[in-house]
Amino acid sequence: MLQIKNIDVAYGHAKVLHDVSLDIEKGQMAFLIGRNGAGKTTLLKTVIGLLKPQMGSIIYEGKEISNLPPEEHYLKGLRYVGQEKKVFGNLTVRENIELAAFASREPIDTSLEKVISIYPKIKDFLKTKAGQLSGGQRQILLVGRALVGDPKLLLIDEPTQGLAAIVIEEVVNILSRLKEQVSAVIVEKNLAMVTRLADKIYILKEGKVAKEIRNKSEISDIKGLEEYL
Amino acid sequence: MDNDKVSLHKPTALAEEFMKIPKKERGAINFLAVATFFLLITPLLSMHRVIDFMIFCIFAMSFDLLYGYMGRLSFGQMLYLGTGAYICGLFVKYVNGNPLLAIFFGIAFAGLLAMLLGLIIVRTTGACFALINLAFNHIGFFLVLSPLRPITRGEDGFGVIASKLGFLNLGSRPIMFVFVLLCLLIVFYFLRQLTSSPYGILIRSIKEDETRVRFVGYNTFFYKWLTFVIAGAIAGLAGSLTALNYNYVNPNSMDVHANVGVVFACLIGGAGHLYGALVGGVIYMVISNFLAYYIYRWEMFLGFSLLLIVFRFRMGVWGYIQRLWEYLATRKGALKFMKKEAI
Repeated sequence: MLQIKNIDVAYGHAKVLHDVSLDIEKGQMAFLIGRNGAGKTTLLKTVIGLLKPQMGSIIYEGKEISNLPPEEHYLKGLRYVGQEKKVFGNLTVRENIELAAFASREPIDTSLEKVISIYPKIKDFLKTKAGQLSGGQRQILLVGRALVGDPKLLLIDEPTQGLAAIVIEEVVNILSRLKEQVSAVIVEKNLAMVTRLADKIYILKEGKVAKEIRNKSEISDIKGLEEYL
Repeated sequence: MDNDKVSLHKPTALAEEFMKIPKKERGAINFLAVATFFLLITPLLSMHRVIDFMIFCIFAMSFDLLYGYMGRLSFGQMLYLGTGAYICGLFVKYVNGNPLLAIFFGIAFAGLLAMLLGLIIVRTTGACFALINLAFNHIGFFLVLSPLRPITRGEDGFGVIASKLGFLNLGSRPIMFVFVLLCLLIVFYFLRQLTSSPYGILIRSIKEDETRVRFVGYNTFFYKWLTFVIAGAIAGLAGSLTALNYNYVNPNSMDVHANVGVVFACLIGGAGHLYGALVGGVIYMVISNFLAYYIYRWEMFLGFSLLLIVFRFRMGVWGYIQRLWEYLATRKGALKFMKKEAI
């Protein structure tokens, strides 16, 4: 589904990713783990079109997408949920969802149903300004909004960062239910979540893929994975 | 329901009551409110002045679409007002006295100019956006003043006398008043529909975070450009009405310094609300028309007002009226009055 082939990405003269290759199959939930500054967020931003690779290619469903703008990625079914949990704070929750529905040409009622199905409590907040939501609610709203339209691949950056344990559990449950619906590439430091959900793990170190783990027993080995954080 | 514990997350009781009214009726209430407001102030201020006020309010709404809703501050919106005024005037003078056609061409040319310049201008943001508009306004002002002098008559300007069109005699002040009021209501209706549609949500999102809007699948350039064109066209309407109202056009229709007025109006009234543009437009016109009688350097008063608004009263008059309304709505007495219940 998504093949990243030997990409180099730099911010100005500072190269952040070196010869990175990834392969995500349909229905897989892959995790990127690594220390701060390893290049995980940069990789997601490159896939979504915010950054352009200096070398290499990004193939999605058989087509080269590295030169396309972010809006075209969205229309192809890629959905990005950033690290900062930024919703459109001056819009209501409903309007945040309506924005995505309009872009996807999906009826708003269908979109609302999708979001409510993953988080029923959001029905109480539809008329609330999104800026007034808690961090966990915003994260769930962002994931829900990413499901509007016809998503095929979710790119989520640290979905549980800064959230309380009970909210993390809720987010993990939601992502667990989504496993059957969409593929995903998730940057995450919460190894309990990673071991629970991952079909594949890529470990990034200093801008390179240090290791790829597909083996179930290795994926479940939290202590082994901790060495890379 | 215990009104003292109304959650910040929920709409107020009065807002909920208002939203229960069917949409068409709510729209009608809005129109009536706007029309009634201008009709009420006419005896106080004179018909001629209120016509001016209404034309300025149309212009203020065009600016507010760009600045209040999309977050792009322009110091050159007068270019489109002036274009509308000149094209309307030139059409009446040299082509056909039909006022409706003249207005149509005024709007069309202003919109066309916005379409062309917008391709460059909307690529910029922030101070660049503000100043590039200012630059184009300067260019337009210079063009009508000098190179196009044979047509525009330079700083002397030219008279604009539109023909009668059946009962539509814009030379008659009451008819002009009704006509301008209708134009205002049409613009208000159009912008209200636009800003409450998904398109309105989109441009408000662009104001907040354009990059994130692109992540949600929108070609933001197109929508910024479209908004710029709509704002330019509406400013062109205001310009056309100005020309027909004064029966005269001169380079003052494109005066760069006059951009300050519309910026003030939106800030005073409250940017991002159509009612704010209307309220701000009227307040600004009252200040600029009447304060000069009492204060020698009335512009200084405006300067101090702007400082106050920027530092202390950012929501503008309409913003504070809304807040007051919500405050009153949470009080037991107000709610019981609505439901006609005894304490």
